Amino acid sequence: MTAPLLEFRHISKSFPGVKALEDVSVDLRAGEVHVIVGENGAGKSTLMKLLSGAYAADEGELLLEGTPLRKNSPKISEQIGIAMIYQELTLVPELSVADNIFLGHEIHKGPLLNRREMERRTEALLASIGIAVSPRTLLRNLSIANQQMIEITKALSKNAKIIVFDEPTSSLTSAEIAELFRIIAALREKGVGMFYISHRLEEIFEIGDRVTIMRDGKRISTTAIAQTSMDRIVEGIAGRRIENVYTRTPSERGETLFALRNLSGGVFKNVSLQVRSGEIVGVAGLVGSGRSEVARAAFGIDAYKSGDVLVRGKPLPRGNPQTASRAGIAFLPEDRKREGLALSLPIRENTVISALSRLNPRGIIRRRKERAAVQKYVDDLEISTPTVEKLTNFLSGGTQQKVVLAKWLLSQAHTFIFDEPTRGIDIGSKSNIYSLMDELVRQGAGILMISSELPEVLGMSDRIYVMAQGRIAGELSREEANHYAVIQLAFSRPEAAAEGGTPDER
Amino acid sequence: MSASAGRKNRGFGLSLLPNSIFAFLLVFLLASLWVPRFFSPGNLSTLLLQASILIILSIGMSLVIIAGGIDLSMGGVLSMCGVIMALCLSQGMHVLAAILVGLACGGLFGLLNGFFVTRMKVPAFIATFGSMGIAQSIANTLSNKRTIYWEEGSHSSILDFLGGNIIRIEFGPEASMIFYVPFLVVLTVIVVGCIIFLFKRTVLGSYTFAIGENEETARLCGIATQKWTLLLYMISGMMASLAALLVLIRTNSMQPTSGDGLEFQAVVAAVLGGNALEGGKGSLYGAVFGALTLYVVRNSLTLKGIDTSTTMIVIGAVLVGGMILNELAARHERARSRKS
Repeated sequence: MTAPLLEFRHISKSFPGVKALEDVSVDLRAGEVHVIVGENGAGKSTLMKLLSGAYAADEGELLLEGTPLRKNSPKISEQIGIAMIYQELTLVPELSVADNIFLGHEIHKGPLLNRREMERRTEALLASIGIAVSPRTLLRNLSIANQQMIEITKALSKNAKIIVFDEPTSSLTSAEIAELFRIIAALREKGVGMFYISHRLEEIFEIGDRVTIMRDGKRISTTAIAQTSMDRIVEGIAGRRIENVYTRTPSERGETLFALRNLSGGVFKNVSLQVRSGEIVGVAGLVGSGRSEVARAAFGIDAYKSGDVLVRGKPLPRGNPQTASRAGIAFLPEDRKREGLALSLPIRENTVISALSRLNPRGIIRRRKERAAVQKYVDDLEISTPTVEKLTNFLSGGTQQKVVLAKWLLSQAHTFIFDEPTRGIDIGSKSNIYSLMDELVRQGAGILMISSELPEVLGMSDRIYVMAQGRIAGELSREEANHYAVIQLAFSRPEAAAEGGTPDER
Repeated sequence: MSASAGRKNRGFGLSLLPNSIFAFLLVFLLASLWVPRFFSPGNLSTLLLQASILIILSIGMSLVIIAGGIDLSMGGVLSMCGVIMALCLSQGMHVLAAILVGLACGGLFGLLNGFFVTRMKVPAFIATFGSMGIAQSIANTLSNKRTIYWEEGSHSSILDFLGGNIIRIEFGPEASMIFYVPFLVVLTVIVVGCIIFLFKRTVLGSYTFAIGENEETARLCGIATQKWTLLLYMISGMMASLAALLVLIRTNSMQPTSGDGLEFQAVVAAVLGGNALEGGKGSLYGAVFGALTLYVVRNSLTLKGIDTSTTMIVIGAVLVGGMILNELAARHERARSRKS
């Protein structure tokens, strides 16, 4: 029996505080499509980055056709024929297809470029996988899908034997996906081994030969596609987990503070939801399902096409974060370093920024009053800092999140929209943030929490909306909610029921 | 779907022309209709000669801009190299030697800019702004802020040749009816032609676009990005010194302030030509037509007897108007590609 094209053998990899991969063994045969599935953070990307040479493994080895690969780097991996096709493309829009494919290893005739030869070879490569694009077309004139095809062709021009597709279909229309699959099938005929990472489970059955399920940095199973089912895969992805750190005390439900009525825009359609006083409402769904976009539109950061945002039953004018915050909505963005804080300013200035006119009615800054107001929240939220004048740049992630929260508390908000409240925050601060959220709703606030971390959603929410493909795929009460139910909804195709096409069409 | 997208764009399309051609044709038409004596053989010859200096500068500027940088030192370097060449001549140096010294100084300053940008990681805007000041100060110091002349010497014949005409056709007795092609225009055409040839037919063009689009991607494709960036700044510096040579021969003297503000005009010409300041996009032809557009405007204003101090107002308006045209053309193109 011949050795597989590639083999990960007992791979482990840790990052500070996280065990990203634990004793993972996966192999890839020539001419197969090996699908890898798992939740965000299951270790799929880390595994692929070991292959591309971006990371090095702590333990275990990588075998190429049976020979251990002692060293890897992006350059080495390219030389041995490994190519990665990412979502964001690495092509130059102002150059022709042929120039892009041969960029960095052009064919020369004397000192001049041999365009004719490059175009001839490009034409042959394109023809070999059945893409009808002229080698002379400027890349910017191609659709995203076609640009992706060119990226694949570029990989082939370097004689890639292994190609990794990372979510290749996320920005393609259904017709373009069909085209991509045709090309993948052609590559399979040529004996290219492919890893295929996708969140769209139905695709797996269409294109995959084998599927490996990963969870929490471990390989759960590897099976032939023919011998498994959608349900088994969903079960494998979800698995069972240990609950912990979440503080939730039952609290009185009050009036509806915040609601969306049939909100439609860019990537989301017909989103309706409501948040009442005293409850935490979770929004789950895969990355790219439109969760953050809904929140941003509701808060007025991005525009939306139709529908209403209601605050205490009254419609909120669209496209204006200022009116949203005056109406009592707080938005705590995922990227708090860029969108939530002015990093070069101290805690005090960051905190008072949304309440400047209330604290300083005549337009004259009264620093002492500001300091006192900020100090109160610094004490309440147990923000660990010697002084309110400390620059936010130097605070930890958890402390920064608290400063953002303090800002909104000072502005007297009643509804808090958290986008990934604990991303990049260590475990200790996490439970701290959770108990603050619990405290907020006990005092009558409402919280809308968008999160990719299922345990967080399950542990904190009173109700959960699950989004998929830009729509609300379902609503679960605290009692109904469990891993399995959420994942099944997250991987469902709600728009297939509503109409044809994909929501990603631009 | 993939087939049609590829083929349709091979045909002739408005979008394939540099956008500044439209702006140029527009102002040229307007000037011909409204400005008396504009569309005369003599005036068009003068126009070409005047525009040559800016064309050369804007070609150098475009190279740097497409690679994602900018070279604000061009005006200063022009003054400095001009002064150095003029001093060499006044000291009795051989003309060709003086020219070589001038070009070398320009290349050296370009290298210096490139070194600051690639090795020291100084933003191009700041690095070249700084060297603009340095070059201008050198020009002022060396010349004592006075115009430099030189004696008739043994090599005056070469200078006369450089300043002379290659072709001269008389359509009538008066000066405005004489069409002539100065050697300097021919020189400009040759130099610009060579650079465009290199840009299109060697890796120079591809690498410049790749570096401007995303330097990291270019590096991963195996392009020695620092080396190429350095080369581009060097070319830009040499273009500035070449422009200095043109000024020197045309005026038969050299003022240390000759280059004042020319770097901005070069940026305007490049931007008019569709060279986006964020890099990765642009056209050398576009810059040539951008420069010509500017000079049609200037020339018309002079013929109309409008004070030169208002020229900048009109140039500003042309820039904004040209950018609006660019945007309209781009929108048209986007709309078309969406339909296909």
